[in-house]
This record gives sequence, structure tokens and C-alpha cells, in this order.
Amino acid sequence: MIEFRDVSKRYEDGTLAVKELSLTVNRGEIFVLIGPSGCGKTTTMKMVNRLIDHTDGKILIDGKEIYQFDIFELRRNIGYVLQQIALFPHLTVEENISVVPELKKWKKERTKDRVTELMKIAGLDPKLRSKKPAELSGGQQQRVGVLRALAADPDVILMDEPFSALDPISRGQLQDDIKRLNDELGKTILFVTHDMQEAMKLGDRIALMRDGELILVGTPEEILASEDPFVLEFTQRGRGELDA
Amino acid sequence: MLETFQNRQGQLVEALIEHLQLSVVSLLIAVLIAVPLGIWLTRRKKIAETAIGVTAIIQTIPSLALLGLMIPLVGIGALPAIIALVLYALLPILRNTFTGLNEVDKSLLEAARACGMKPNQSLMKVELPLALPVIMAGIRTAMVLIVGTATLAALVGAGGLGTLILLGINRNDNYLILLGAIPAAILALLFDFLLRQMEGATATRNKAKLIAVSTVLALVIVTPLAFGRSQETDLVVAGKLGPEPEILMNMYKLLIEEETDLTVSVKPNFGETTFVWGALQSGDVDIYPEFTGTALASLVKETPESNDAGEVYEQAREALAEEGYVMLEPMQFNNTYALAIPRDYAEAEDITAISDLRNVQSDIQAGFTLEFTDREDGYPGLQNEYGLDFPSVVSMEQKLRYRAIARGDVNLVDAYATDPDIAENDLVVLEDDRQFFPPYQGAPLMKEETLEEYPEIEDALNQLAGKITDEQMSELNRRVAYGNERAYDVAKDFLEQEGLL
Repeated sequence: MIEFRDVSKRYEDGTLAVKELSLTVNRGEIFVLIGPSGCGKTTTMKMVNRLIDHTDGKILIDGKEIYQFDIFELRRNIGYVLQQIALFPHLTVEENISVVPELKKWKKERTKDRVTELMKIAGLDPKLRSKKPAELSGGQQQRVGVLRALAADPDVILMDEPFSALDPISRGQLQDDIKRLNDELGKTILFVTHDMQEAMKLGDRIALMRDGELILVGTPEEILASEDPFVLEFTQRGRGELDA
Repeated sequence: MLETFQNRQGQLVEALIEHLQLSVVSLLIAVLIAVPLGIWLTRRKKIAETAIGVTAIIQTIPSLALLGLMIPLVGIGALPAIIALVLYALLPILRNTFTGLNEVDKSLLEAARACGMKPNQSLMKVELPLALPVIMAGIRTAMVLIVGTATLAALVGAGGLGTLILLGINRNDNYLILLGAIPAAILALLFDFLLRQMEGATATRNKAKLIAVSTVLALVIVTPLAFGRSQETDLVVAGKLGPEPEILMNMYKLLIEEETDLTVSVKPNFGETTFVWGALQSGDVDIYPEFTGTALASLVKETPESNDAGEVYEQAREALAEEGYVMLEPMQFNNTYALAIPRDYAEAEDITAISDLRNVQSDIQAGFTLEFTDREDGYPGLQNEYGLDFPSVVSMEQKLRYRAIARGDVNLVDAYATDPDIAENDLVVLEDDRQFFPPYQGAPLMKEETLEEYPEIEDALNQLAGKITDEQMSELNRRVAYGNERAYDVAKDFLEQEGLL
């Protein structure tokens, strides 16, 4: 469970990226943060694993404030998937997936078994293990990106527009995979997107943001039923993809 | 060419090994300094440009000047050469390390942080491996630079392929120059190949190959050490660039070893006056032959009070003694400055003395050594004394001015009276009818404490006092410079004829 209590992010020049945000992400749900570009959704997500530090309020994971964890341990216990995929190009698929288990000093055998298990779950050909990322298709690369986040079996996974760079077919498949993984493994997923269709498909709950503030939090049905003018505008346009 | 190669095979192998050793050690040190510095600078971006600028400034210092500056500080031999080479190699390695690390994709850095890597883990596992091709490109550039510049190491007694090149220039032997230059080029290519192999092995993490290449490089450094080529001797005799100093220092060695129980090693071709004088001061060199006129003008910086050879020697000896140096008795020959012109030109215009030049002043194209154009006992003094002012004066290296006059590019050169090149190039020396040039007699120069420690060398070396005429010295020089004989053999031959051995 992730709790935001009156969280703000103020940069040194005084601009507020996130304003007194409060919300709770429940254990095992896919929680989608959506909004136009510059609304603070990515900043909100990155504050969870402290890629960006918040300046006011509190963020708690399972009841413990994040500043009380060792920063490196905190990050190793939270999965992270990037929009740019960002697999390490000099490492093989297997080595990429093994990065966090190795940092956590798992036994070699255990890491190896974990890679086998994950590749099976994701439906990746075992032959790809020793390939470099450049030899994979975009969809395969981001599957590996997701596996890297899952490798050390974290409870919480952060996803920053993970499928926006992919072609529509791969995107659809990966969205199905995430939905399935979440059902099977019960991970808590904080998912950032600007694509309303994606949000509707994946989100157990969706939070709509604008100018660093939360406009509305609710299930997809509740969002569709809302009469708020900004929500209406957003959801209508959101039948397709939003302007980024 | 083949003959030159066969004659010099042993020397070539030794020079090649020295060259390899200088290059590899310098590169290794440069990498150990520049790579960590480059890493550090990526975290201190504000001072990065300044730091890289400083290494760029170092690179603009001419290599010869850098070597000259190094001698008073660290002496002679491999050390100043390695320091200079390391300084030259810093820029490409530093700049490429900095650029390579800066160009690593920012999203990869974020992925590394998000995975929970500490800064040094991110550096070792992600940033350095990804920057490696750029860093290696810098190292390879530095390598080529080092192998090329290391040819100058011969000027400070560090050996290497430059020895052959210098010798070739001295002996008018183009094959010998090539014998030094071609292996240097091959060496650069070979190193480039090895480094590329190393880079490939690192990228694919082929451990076997990496170990193989590293072993080859390690052997290159260690092998020459195992041969233990330089055994310690009691005394080190050195001398400036050219055949004459080399013949004289071999005579010193032969005489000292004949008359005493001391052992002597010779270090020929030590660049110019400042280099060998610096080496004597720092104690790397014990004895070298110096000219009385040069000692006065360049070492103790006094103007000669007389043009009499004996009085100039006395003045130089006394001035040097005040600073703690001993100049033993000079030999007979006077290797003074002279002006020389082509024989046919001299005959056509009826020129026999320097005063006669005034009649043809507007036709003169002079080629002088840089030293001569600048010294009070050179061209500036000459202008005053004889009222001369030539329309065209170019300065060039002492050997090359003879080539220039032989080709007809100039028609007047400064010469040293005992240069064999005067006769070889069919030049005539003009009479110094106003006795302007001071005498330059060769004599052994050393520190006072050297003589106190080994008093027996005084008698051994003074056997040469008043010996060797201008003609004899010129002939000995010719045998080395044009006759393809070794300086040691020529020196030994002469001493035996004189009954000194």
C-alpha cells in the first residue's frame, strides 16, 4: 500500500510541480495516473522510489515513511519500467533481468532459476537469454524491461508510460500481459500514461491530474460518469490518444 | 638499405625495445592519471573545461622545449622522457573519457539509479562499459602520439628509435633515418592493433583474449628489465649531438680505462648545450667535452676579454672554478665559428676573406644555425665588426644548412672549423681577417667533487692537452660522418697512433 499525505514538490526556483496531493494506492491494484503533459503525474510517481524527492508532506509504503528506508534498498524493492525501455545495451537479456537480484546478492543459482521462470511467464523464447537487447524487437525489449522490474519479486512496481513507444499490436499484447500478471501475482502497480484508452483498460482506479493537483480519483466507471468539465473534455478526447 | 639494416641489427633491436618500453610505460601512467581524472570531472562539470584546457595548453608546448625544461628538474634518461610523454598523452585520454561518460544515454543512468545501484556501481557496471569505445579511441590517439614523440627521447639520453634517426641525420645517412622512422611507424600500427583487440575483448567480455593481450603488453614492459642492459659504471661521459663530441667522449673513456681502474659509460648525442650542461649540473653526467668559447659565452655568460686561445681558456677556467666546476687543459684544435661559401662562387667573385663579402652583400642568401643568429659572437657581432647586413637570412638545423648550401638554396653558411662537411660539400672557409671569432678549444668539463673523488682522471685526460690539430680533427670527423666508421674505433685508432694506448 502506498499513501501520499499532503505531498508537495517545490523546486529550488519556487515552482510547484505537485501541490498537496493525497491519495492511497491499495495493495494489489493497478492505479493509473493520467493527465496532460506537465501535470505532475510522472513527478508523483518518481517520488515513490525517490528518483525525485518530495519537499512537503509524507509518502508511506506499508505504513513506513520512505525517508526511513535506506535509499538503495528502497529502490531495489520497487520495480521500475521506463518509457525509453532503457535496457543496458552491453548486457545480455539474462544479465539485464539479473541486475537487481545481483545487487541484492542473490545466489547465482537462484537468480538463474528466477530468469528461467520469468521468461516462461512472459512467453519469451529461452534462446533470447544470451541475446543483446539490440537483437530484439521493440515489444520483446519492453517485455524484458518489465521482467527486469519484476526480477527481485518487489511488491510495488512503477511504470512510466511503458508502452507509448511501441506499435499498437505490441502495446495491446503487453497491456494484456500486465493485466494477467497483476491478477496472478498480486503486485501493486502505479502506472503513468497519457492514453485514456489504456487507463480504462488497465486501471482498477484512475487518478486524473492537472497542474500538479488531483482533479478526480475513481474507477473507470466513475470517471465515465463524471460531469466535471475537465473530465468530460479529457474523456471525450481520450477515446483516442491525448495530445501529449 | 639492406646493408644498413644488417650492420645495425643489434642496435635496432635495442632501440626498438627501449622505444617499446618508454611508450608502454608512458601510456600506462597516462591512462592511470587521465581516466580517473576524467571520471572525477564528469561530477565537477564547472571545472572540467578548465582542466581539459590546461592539458590542451601542455600539448601546445613544443616537445623539445618540454624535454629541455625537464632536465634541470629531474635529470636525464628515461624519467624526463616518460614525464613529457605522459603530459602529451593526457589530453586525448582525458577529453575522450569525459566526453564518453557524458554521452551515456540519460535514461540508462535513470534505469541504473532506479534499480538501486550506488553511484560507483552505476559507474562500473553501466557508465564505463558504455563509454569504453570512446575512451579507447582516446587511448589509441595517445598511443600514436607517444610512439611518434618518443623518437625525441634520444635527445635526453633515454634511447629509443630516435637514436638511429639522430645518428642518420649526423652521418648524412638517409637509410639510417629510415631505419629509425619505419619501425616507429610499424610500432604505432602494432600498438593500435593490440589496443583494438583489447577493446573488442572487453566489449564481448572475452576473458581469454583480454588476458592474452594484457600478457603481451606486460611482457613488453618486463622483458627488457630482465635483460638488465645498463650496468652501473663509475663515471658517465656524455656529449652534444654530432660526431666530434662522440669521438672525444670515446677518447676520454679509452684513456680513463687505460690509466685507471675506473669503468666508464658513454652517452652520445645529447641534444644541445643546455641539455648536457643541465645533466652535468644534476649529476646524471660526470664529464663532457665543452668548448672554451661556449663555456664563456653560454655557461658563465661572460664576454671574452681577448681573442688569444690561452687567455680565453684561463678566463673560462677561472669563471667555472668559482661555480664549482673544473675545466681541464684544452686540446690544440680550434673548432671556431667560420663562414663558408661554395668554392666556385668564391673563385668567380674572388672572395677569400670575410671583408670581401661587402662587395657582394646584396647577392648573399645566408643559412645560419639558430644559435649563430642569436649569439653576440655570431651574426649580430659580425654585423658590427665587419659592417655587413645580408638581405636574406634563414635559420636552420646545423646539419641541414649544409644540405641547403649543397642544393643551392643558400650561398653562405656558418660552419664549425672542424666540420668535415666543409670539404665534402666543396666549400671554402673565409679568412676571419679582423679576428672576430673567439677561439673554441675542446676540453673536459666536470664538477669539482668528481675530480676530488677520482683525482687520477686528471692525468689520464690531460694526455690530450695540446693534441689533435684542426686537420686531424676534421679527418676524424669525416671518417665517422661520411666513412661509416664507429666513433669508438676512430677514437681508438687515433690514440694508438699517438702512442697513448
